[in-house]
Amino acid sequence: MKKYTLIISEKPDAANRIATALDDKGRNTRKNSNGVPFFVAKNGDKEIIVASALGHLYTVMSNTKKGKWDYPVFNYQWAPRWMAEKGVLKIRTWIEVLSKLAENAEEFIDACDYDIEGSIIGYSVLKYACNGKEKTAKRMKYSTLTREELRESFTNLLPHLDFALIEAGLTRHEVDWLYGINLSRALTLAAKNSNNMYATLSTGRVQGPTLKYIETREKNIQIFVPTPFWNITAKISIDDHTFELEHEKKVIETKAKANAIIAACKTKEGQINKIDTKEFQQSPPVPFDLGTLQSEAYRLFRYPPIHTSKIAQHLYINALISYPRTSSQKLPSTIGYSTILKKLSRSTLYQKLTQKLLAQPTLKPNEGSKFDPAHPAIYPTGNLPEKVLDTSAKNIYDLIVRRFLAVFSEPALKQRVKISVDIKWNLFFMMGYRTLKEGWMECYRPYVHYEDILLPLLFEGQKVAVKKVNLKDKFSKPPSRYNPQSLLKKMEKEEIGTKATRASTIQTLYERKYVEGEQNMTITDLGFEVADVLKNYCPSVVSSEMTRKLEEKMEQIQLKQETKQKVLADTIENLKTVTEVLKQKQSDIGVQLGQKIKQLRLNEQIIGKCPKCQTGKLVIIRSKKTRKRFIGCTNFFEGKCNTSFPLPQTGKIKPLTKPCKTCGYPIIKILITPKHPWKICLNLDCSTREEK
Amino acid sequence: MSCKICSQPIKEEGYCIVHLKAYQNICKKFEAWKKALEVSWIDYLVNISKNSLTGEWAKEVAKYLIEDESRNVKER
Repeated sequence: MKKYTLIISEKPDAANRIATALDDKGRNTRKNSNGVPFFVAKNGDKEIIVASALGHLYTVMSNTKKGKWDYPVFNYQWAPRWMAEKGVLKIRTWIEVLSKLAENAEEFIDACDYDIEGSIIGYSVLKYACNGKEKTAKRMKYSTLTREELRESFTNLLPHLDFALIEAGLTRHEVDWLYGINLSRALTLAAKNSNNMYATLSTGRVQGPTLKYIETREKNIQIFVPTPFWNITAKISIDDHTFELEHEKKVIETKAKANAIIAACKTKEGQINKIDTKEFQQSPPVPFDLGTLQSEAYRLFRYPPIHTSKIAQHLYINALISYPRTSSQKLPSTIGYSTILKKLSRSTLYQKLTQKLLAQPTLKPNEGSKFDPAHPAIYPTGNLPEKVLDTSAKNIYDLIVRRFLAVFSEPALKQRVKISVDIKWNLFFMMGYRTLKEGWMECYRPYVHYEDILLPLLFEGQKVAVKKVNLKDKFSKPPSRYNPQSLLKKMEKEEIGTKATRASTIQTLYERKYVEGEQNMTITDLGFEVADVLKNYCPSVVSSEMTRKLEEKMEQIQLKQETKQKVLADTIENLKTVTEVLKQKQSDIGVQLGQKIKQLRLNEQIIGKCPKCQTGKLVIIRSKKTRKRFIGCTNFFEGKCNTSFPLPQTGKIKPLTKPCKTCGYPIIKILITPKHPWKICLNLDCSTREEK
Repeated sequence: MSCKICSQPIKEEGYCIVHLKAYQNICKKFEAWKKALEVSWIDYLVNISKNSLTGEWAKEVAKYLIEDESRNVKER
């Protein structure tokens, strides 16, 4: 059999694109074995097979015998995911096919994403599925899935894998696994053993401190006491136009002082004291790294960070943008600024803007300070979408393109006019703004909001009519609750987690029911309790300091200044102390958590307020006699209300927050098949039921 | 012994940890209110217990202190 080059990519979509790009005729032959796709390409006289992983095919798993679910666990190994997790049997076939393809390959290339996760995926496939080929395999490094860059990367292969990066990645996985499994088992077992109540409770090296941020913020909100202060504004009239001015003291701390100013300003006339005009430049924004893209997408479209990540990944796989999981805000000239702009000018949307930029004598991006050795900032490849993108993808693509254009544009030039008006020896100010040159704002217009505030022509010494002087009662405000985006920023600032994992850590907090609410993240009672347990019994786990130190060590491993063995030994040492305490206090912790889990379960059963008695709550009840479920009022047990509603006996039931528009009764969602949820009003006489 | 307001164990001054923090914050902020509005302790408590910006735990403590104050007045 003829030998071939085997290229391993991260996902099938990427494999398809790589094979197409490397094939001399720009097309590949799709084959499959047992449902696992791979792609054959011809490159010169070489035959290439591009196969893919399916994300992580291998993971860390405990060495202890099955069935023994206890902690501490310090013995582990890397194993195929199908052995460690349920419901991923497909991975077994996948690995078998990769092993078969490896048998006849003469050369191996790792073409997974060039970051920690990608490097581990490629490394573990080459090591375990391809029988130790990680030592001889070469590496493709690229930041976009465009034909040109992929071919270039294939021609200039790196001679070997980045072993230092892999070592750091393996350490991160193993440390996270050790923390995750031991602490999560400690919490889950505490609740189970003390209350005989099973609930998946998890925490970890990043999840713990993240939960603590939300808990601390919530506590600050709950103990907040506002303090009063006052604002004074004056309304003046110039040429029949009314303008509002602010007193020079923005915060007046006592009512007596505020009243004294009001009393002093009792006059019909003021005088313009000074006109201060200043021109200033507003620099263009810096290129997107993943964090700033997620921030901007949340600000503009309210997309949660994890959603933005997924869309950006989709755009990357379709070769529309560069690799999104980057922390860089730099755009090196090697990406070919003018080539990208020329390609983008094929779109009528960007034609005018790109041509204007191409007419500039030089193209110099306004770069930010962040740097990532593996990838540049996020930029459009210049390819235009071949298919119609859905709204989310279209928005993110347009945002990335316009940001890229803005980065190369000139600064905006603005003029600020500050006018001070003397009203009986009290100074009041008003500001005017005028855009003199739009600059980068022209490119970024739908996403940058600015409004000029134009003032009439005035001169110093001019008299103005004072219409009214107002006193406004104000109070200091409590800190705002986190939203997924501001929490992500906080994690970035505290340097906990990685750009690739932060969004999913936040998602886990929702899934574990530790937090709720999309715009305003509120910690639940269970979240409070978990944070409390961690803080009381293992404070080191929730301290940002420990996490940050560990991140530093991981960086040192990458720089070969620290060893994986040392970091893991330190982790185990720390965990031994922590788990010992948790074991000793297991029953106390169990009681503490059990109450909240019980409460949470009860709350989940509540459908809404009883529409008949108005005081009881409607809950899902299972009849002891028939074992059938129905909805009944909690006042039934006190003999006050006998309201009940029948329920279908299959499917998951979720109460909806809004009542029926027709009759006001609660509405429930029944999920018999996840794709077709069924919404019904509980009222059997409601007309909405007849319609169906 | 449990907290004057909830069933949690006492940390100090008859309050659990969260209500103690709320109580300390109430005492701390009184200075600013006294200076700003020349209010009495009881008026201050009434004000903050009705203010929508006051946190729930602080409100619970303020309401408790108001009731406690009126109980003391009656006893006197």
